[in-house]
Amino acid sequence: MNIIVCVKQVLDPEIPPAKFKIDPETKQVIPPPGVPPVISVYDERAVEAACRLKDTHKGNITVISMGSEKAADVIKHAISMGADDGFVLSDAAFENLDSFGIAYVLSKAIEKIGGYDLVLCGRQAADWGAGQVGSILAEILGIPIVTLACDIEAADKNIKVKRIVSDGYEVLEAPLPSLVTVSSEIGLPRLPAGMRLMIARKKQIPVWTAQDIGAEASQLGTDNAHTEITGLSVPDRKTECEIITGATSSEAAVNLAVKLNELK
Amino acid sequence: MSPVSATYWGIPGYAIFWVLFIIAFGLFVQRVYVLLRLMSLGKQENRFGRIGLRIKNMLFEVIPQWCSLRSVTRKDLAGLGHALMFWGFGFFLISYIVFIGLAEGFGLHAVLMGTTFETVYASILDIAGVFVIIAIVWAAIRRYVIRPERLEINVEAGVIMIMVFSLMALHFCIEGFGIAGSGESAAWPPLGAAFARFLSGTDISQSTLTAVSHGAWWLHYALILGFLVYIPRSKHLHVLAAGPNIFFKPIGPNVVLEPIPLEAIEDPEGTEAFGVSKIQDFTWKDLLDLYACAVCGRCHVNCPAQVSGKSLSPKEVIHNLKEHLLEAGPGLLAGDTGESAKGQNKTLIGDVVTEDEIWACTTCGACQEVCPVGIEHIRKIIELRQNLVMAQSKMPESAQLMLRNMQSRGHPWSGAQSLRLRGDWTQDLELNILSPGDSAHTLFWVGCTGALIDRNVNATLSLTRVLKAAGVDFAVLGEAETCCGDPARRAGYDFQFQILAEENIELLKSYNIKKIITSCPHCYNTMKNEYPLYGGDFKVVHYTELIANLVSQGTLKLTKELDAIVTYHDPCYLSRYNEVYLEPRRIFQDIPKAQLREMERSKKTTFCCGGGGGHLWIEEQPGTTKINHIRIEEVIETGADTVVTSCPYCLQMLEEGIEHKGIKDSLQAKDLIEVVEATMK
Repeated sequence: MNIIVCVKQVLDPEIPPAKFKIDPETKQVIPPPGVPPVISVYDERAVEAACRLKDTHKGNITVISMGSEKAADVIKHAISMGADDGFVLSDAAFENLDSFGIAYVLSKAIEKIGGYDLVLCGRQAADWGAGQVGSILAEILGIPIVTLACDIEAADKNIKVKRIVSDGYEVLEAPLPSLVTVSSEIGLPRLPAGMRLMIARKKQIPVWTAQDIGAEASQLGTDNAHTEITGLSVPDRKTECEIITGATSSEAAVNLAVKLNELK
Repeated sequence: MSPVSATYWGIPGYAIFWVLFIIAFGLFVQRVYVLLRLMSLGKQENRFGRIGLRIKNMLFEVIPQWCSLRSVTRKDLAGLGHALMFWGFGFFLISYIVFIGLAEGFGLHAVLMGTTFETVYASILDIAGVFVIIAIVWAAIRRYVIRPERLEINVEAGVIMIMVFSLMALHFCIEGFGIAGSGESAAWPPLGAAFARFLSGTDISQSTLTAVSHGAWWLHYALILGFLVYIPRSKHLHVLAAGPNIFFKPIGPNVVLEPIPLEAIEDPEGTEAFGVSKIQDFTWKDLLDLYACAVCGRCHVNCPAQVSGKSLSPKEVIHNLKEHLLEAGPGLLAGDTGESAKGQNKTLIGDVVTEDEIWACTTCGACQEVCPVGIEHIRKIIELRQNLVMAQSKMPESAQLMLRNMQSRGHPWSGAQSLRLRGDWTQDLELNILSPGDSAHTLFWVGCTGALIDRNVNATLSLTRVLKAAGVDFAVLGEAETCCGDPARRAGYDFQFQILAEENIELLKSYNIKKIITSCPHCYNTMKNEYPLYGGDFKVVHYTELIANLVSQGTLKLTKELDAIVTYHDPCYLSRYNEVYLEPRRIFQDIPKAQLREMERSKKTTFCCGGGGGHLWIEEQPGTTKINHIRIEEVIETGADTVVTSCPYCLQMLEEGIEHKGIKDSLQAKDLIEVVEATMK
């Protein structure tokens, strides 16, 4: 089973909130010093899902990441978890693309790799959280998509996907090749075992430019963008803390229930 | 006439003597051979360097019994009993060789017996015999009546006590009945002669007396041979293995973790080779450790995990590994590794040692410190963790979280645990922060906790100010510093440690660093004792060593009075691992009016704070006492109002203990450097 996983390198979401700064002029995030970017948490779960499929069905996992050349680090992280190969897609023309542009670039790289049975993405990126790339990518590739997977089973020419819905899950079947976006409910990603860390460390990660994957400039221009960022700001967060007390714990519980009822 | 030259039922005594000897010795050799073969199942390890020093160490430990006397405390005098038994029995052992082997076996009876040498030696034996009897009776009372926690009631101990006691009793019988039977009156040996005088006063005939003496002699000969056969088949194997085990003890750091030879690993997907998952994955020295253990239980009562109610007992681990080796080893030697073979159906991790036991260890080293025979418990546990983490990916979730942080963020603190960035502490300080191309002689290595956790940052800032005041020229790495790798290594994720070590060494070398000042004992131990194996040879000092020197040189003057009653909590990785415990006390001596009250467990026998071995991040087994809560009780016992330490982990654990107790008003925890700064001129 050949799996392609799309991963994104993001600002460490565990940066203390006070350290998070943006430049409203350029509408960009200013990364704090000394904090290495990490693999987007949902994408890491997509890699985990791929590794689990590889554990039972063998096969090959290729990881692609569009971003700066430093994105090689997240490819290496995926390789240390169990992926086999990876490519960074980096080109000045790829900067500031919206979800449609990104999906286009990824589709060109996926077409270049070819021979895939399954494409996996995280349910959304941990930074912008749009959650659109997977769906658009499936559309461009012309393959079925199942979103928000919490479990993927492969059988012959089909996959069976457990998909998270608000009150439980539903089970869907799709033919291969398909695209699945993976949700965090799939479980903790593995700790890279043994030699894999060393393999990943030594691995050379090729960088593909727009030319390498045959991405047309006409598709990458801002005129082609479907969305525009009009403003970017750190949300004002206000928390008011009120401690509900009571002489006994049951009394406190009653007071709490009353309060909650008031606020309903 | 000697017992051996007599004839019994027509069989010459000599023949009986030698036949019995050959049978017993044969059984002894056969067992020792099997044990050596089992030991050879282990992996290779070179423990033969510096032979001279090793011999010296062994003789110094064993002959004066420093090995057992070292652990003698007011509450536990057993080591003294062991020494009495060792010395006393040592004299008997020599007498067995001379007066049984040479005199009776090789026919030198006429040359040796009846000489002044014999009389003098027999007199010494009389005294030694009394000491051994005292020690045996005392040991029996202790084990079967007093029943200290560390000892268990077992048959083997009883058998050996009865054997030794019988040998002593028989010794006096042989002497007494022998002298009385000969009809001579003798003044020496004193106890034998006195017993003979008593027997002569009875109306037992001389021939009966001689016959009893001979009978006792043969019985005691049989017992000695029985001893020879029994020893290698019981826990008293330690009599044979302890000396060699002390000989092969590590020279230098007590916990020897070998680098994993990455180049030698041919199949990168085959990860079962990492750490220890089978008994034969240990080295031969690890297996010798198992033979050396006498199940004395000193490790058991000093292990913080055990004391706090966790399932780990270092004694049980070693004992169970030994049982497993003896059970499964013969099958392995025969190449029979089928499921049906004896002991093969047991998994080392799971059946012999449980995962809970493996994860409960804080690597504090108390077990190794009190072990009289030099058993290395800690590296066994770490190697078992290596297999769990690197080959099986099995670990507590809290450990996994920490290790994932180490891997992706270069430090063990995650999420809301730290609201700081690595370089934050350097803000608004005039510091020499190194950037590529710079060069510096001395580096202050802050450590993750000292850079990321508010409470510990205070100590870091304090140290920075003290160093500056003392005119120490130092540089820092600021945001470029990463973890030294210690938590990953102790948690068994040795690859991550190796990556961090290699990257750090490369970075430090690029700045031409020669000397490193550390504030964290864990960084200190790792960089001082473990980095050299990866090519990092730096002079590493802990700040307590540096400050103690600055104070004694007069560069740093501590002139303000300390208005507090303090106790000092020795961090394991400083005092036990690296023998730095006098320096902090020297600093206290130089502080005017400092009142230092020692805890009962201090210096090299300090008690863990509960935070070592990755346990600052790994959850303690639910339902057990927290180790730091036990330590806080010991702090309170001293009556101190301030507990001082010199480790960021310890500081956190002690503060948590104080908070838990709700005694913040009467007790506070401080880093030693904060005390130094407060009393500095």
